[in-house]
Amino acid sequence: MPFPPRPIDSTLHGVTDYCAGGTLLTIFPRLASIEGTESARQIRTAGAIHGGYSAITDYPLGIVKLIPFKAHLALDAVGALALAVTPFASGQWKKGAKHWVPHVALCLFELSALLMTDPTGAGDFHGDIEAVRAANMEDPHRKIYDGAPAVRPAVAV
Amino acid sequence: MRANVWSGRNQVQVENVSDPKILNDRDAIVKISSTAICGSDLHLYDGYVPKMKRGDILGHEFMGEIVETGKRVSNLQVGDRVVVPFPIACGDCWACKHELYSVCENTNPNSGLAEKFFGHATAGIFGYSHLTGGYAGGQAEYARVPFADVGPIKVEDDLTDEQVLFLSDIFPTGYFGADLCDIRGGEVIAVFGAGAVGQFAIASAVMMGAERVIAIDQYDYRLQMALNKARATDIIDFAKDPDIVEQLKELTGGRGPDAVIDAVGMEAAHGHGAIHAIDRAKQATRSESDRPHALRDAILACRPGGIVSVIGVYGGLMDKFPSGAFMNKGLQLRAGQCHVQKYLKPLYDHIKNGDIDPSFVVTHRLELGMAPDGFETFKHKQDECVKVVLKP
Repeated sequence: MPFPPRPIDSTLHGVTDYCAGGTLLTIFPRLASIEGTESARQIRTAGAIHGGYSAITDYPLGIVKLIPFKAHLALDAVGALALAVTPFASGQWKKGAKHWVPHVALCLFELSALLMTDPTGAGDFHGDIEAVRAANMEDPHRKIYDGAPAVRPAVAV
Repeated sequence: MRANVWSGRNQVQVENVSDPKILNDRDAIVKISSTAICGSDLHLYDGYVPKMKRGDILGHEFMGEIVETGKRVSNLQVGDRVVVPFPIACGDCWACKHELYSVCENTNPNSGLAEKFFGHATAGIFGYSHLTGGYAGGQAEYARVPFADVGPIKVEDDLTDEQVLFLSDIFPTGYFGADLCDIRGGEVIAVFGAGAVGQFAIASAVMMGAERVIAIDQYDYRLQMALNKARATDIIDFAKDPDIVEQLKELTGGRGPDAVIDAVGMEAAHGHGAIHAIDRAKQATRSESDRPHALRDAILACRPGGIVSVIGVYGGLMDKFPSGAFMNKGLQLRAGQCHVQKYLKPLYDHIKNGDIDPSFVVTHRLELGMAPDGFETFKHKQDECVKVVLKP
């Protein structure tokens, strides 16, 4: 296995993106007991942004494939660090642990997922199909659709 | 020499490596004339089989000319044209004496590791991770063939490479899958997966006298090959309707096929809904080794008292096995890596007699240097790809 192991391909990364984005937008603030605070607004904003650029990423779960998968991963890293820094930059960390711990925990979760993600976008074709067609000594379509069957029935009874 | 080596998940490359040498008196060196990419190579490519190392030479389907033999190889001569079976078998152990060559007890030096991962060790296999012995594979210009006095079959007739190459694995494997179904004539057989092994399972069931053979896949071009070349009688395209079990029952008067062959294995793509999402996530995080949608559906669809034949590769542990249906229907589950050596001679004779032309599966024939693009094309089902043969 490659080291470090990168078991998350682009499809699974997409599943994580939408699950995380949806959770941050909906139930996460309540679960973290920060509903109605500035922290909740920041985390909901992060969830919405995350879901938004996931939808325009060029990976299997992207809806409009505008930005490359590697750019998406870079945005993940920048976004995670920005989220972690926000409570300290705004000074809200002074109000207590629940006003900065969720931000830092989400940042660490995001960075962990990034470390385990295969950046090549394993779900995507990265061969040179024109080169294959030029080099192929067979005609696939003809092999499949033309000519007689290749086997005689009931010869091995 | 040049060889196609594993370089990491979803990465292979053709590199210059050292030529193989005779290491044992029962070895032979083969100059490879044709080799192929197997569907099971994709499990290595996708990173689902552990104990691959960067630089490992891939490939377990190959043939060529003998260029050197060890002192104890008396059945082969330099210049002989041979096809090499993928399981490496000693010929002397209990398993080999019982024609169970793919579980040879002597050829996998890493059997302890394999037991931990697979639950039981296979024989040594060319180019298939260090769990199966770490033997260099055949996607190369030359290969060392251990126990050459047991495995390779000589090709003495005027048959092309593409006609005999698949004796190394996929033709015997497909035939083995049909053989496990006890076909006596008149049965209905369903085959999950219309890749190259599935095509040979279909063709073999036809050869054995099955009355109806139902091919199941999500790629229309593969289903068309099954109809046009392998003589499937019915097809199920689950891209159009994902409820395969219901469609199989509709095609069989509500009872189900007499036997079902799983030619898919651990990376099944046709699961849907929450179960697929859970399997997908568990497999990716290595908490489940297999995505067994095909096997689950095979058990649910097979008629009571029928046979489920498993030739798709599974690697360890699966979840949500439908034990209730399996037990209460009284099914028989039969499985295995093919004991290729057992089938070599009879299948060679079928080819020679014109009963089957195995070259029908070859959609891509490329120079060895194109192996990385060949893997991608094969994996992503581009350009109507069913089988890639590489020419060193």
